[in-house]
Amino acid sequence: MKILIVDDSRVMRQIVLRTLRQAGFGNHAFVEASDGAEALDKVMTERPDLVLSDWNMPHKTGIELLGDLRGTGNQVPFGFVTSEGSPEMRQTAEAAGAMFLIAKPFTPESFESALAGVLG
Amino acid sequence: MTRVAAPDEALVHAAIEQVWGSMLFSAAEPWPAGVAPEFETGLQAQIELRGDWNGRLVLTCDSGVAAQIAIAMLGVDPDEALPEDDVHDAVGEVLNIVGGSVKGALGGVLALGLPGVSETSASPASDECLVVAWRGAPVFVQVVPDAA
Repeated sequence: MKILIVDDSRVMRQIVLRTLRQAGFGNHAFVEASDGAEALDKVMTERPDLVLSDWNMPHKTGIELLGDLRGTGNQVPFGFVTSEGSPEMRQTAEAAGAMFLIAKPFTPESFESALAGVLG
Repeated sequence: MTRVAAPDEALVHAAIEQVWGSMLFSAAEPWPAGVAPEFETGLQAQIELRGDWNGRLVLTCDSGVAAQIAIAMLGVDPDEALPEDDVHDAVGEVLNIVGGSVKGALGGVLALGLPGVSETSASPASDECLVVAWRGAPVFVQVVPDAA
């Protein structure tokens, strides 16, 4: 499977990737995007099986990205990895069609429990 | 209009402890009392909170400390020289995560901005900062409310 990691921080994309490997998902293919606008293009060209996206990014936020995807009928599984994990944000994410929200700082266990049902 | 109390030191320290422990794999020890924390030049990260409380969080540390934080976050060889962009990115992301935790703990309606990082030679006013130790060097975190 192919996973698209979206974050405006290159360091954080590397940490997400390392944590996914630590959580046992290292056998998947990974692609990256540095904001929501680039991610929208990558979803069309790379056709990932899962999108892991930051929320707060320049140009296009994660929630705008998700809205654009669902607005065009794209149902790619989508989860947030973000520094904010309030109940309100979780509700907003779920209502927009996200499968989960992993709050930073995270651990490999956070990814294991969130992704087990998606990636197996 | 401010409708929630400013983040206090205990709240900010709890957020820092969480980030230090899970992203930097180190305890956030308080700076020892009676020892003046020294600072010459380094990096300063800032992030704004807007809404029911308005102000910003500011994190300042020595350049060498910033590089070590980036190395710890990325889990690379301690002797590796990281690109400057990655060091700025790492320090900004540390403050971003601290800001996210603080925002969640404050409650109310708040929006977190994007972190900005710049070089500085202005020494932080340590009596206005929460100072934690990173491998024996100070990291200064300040809560700065907007001017009334």
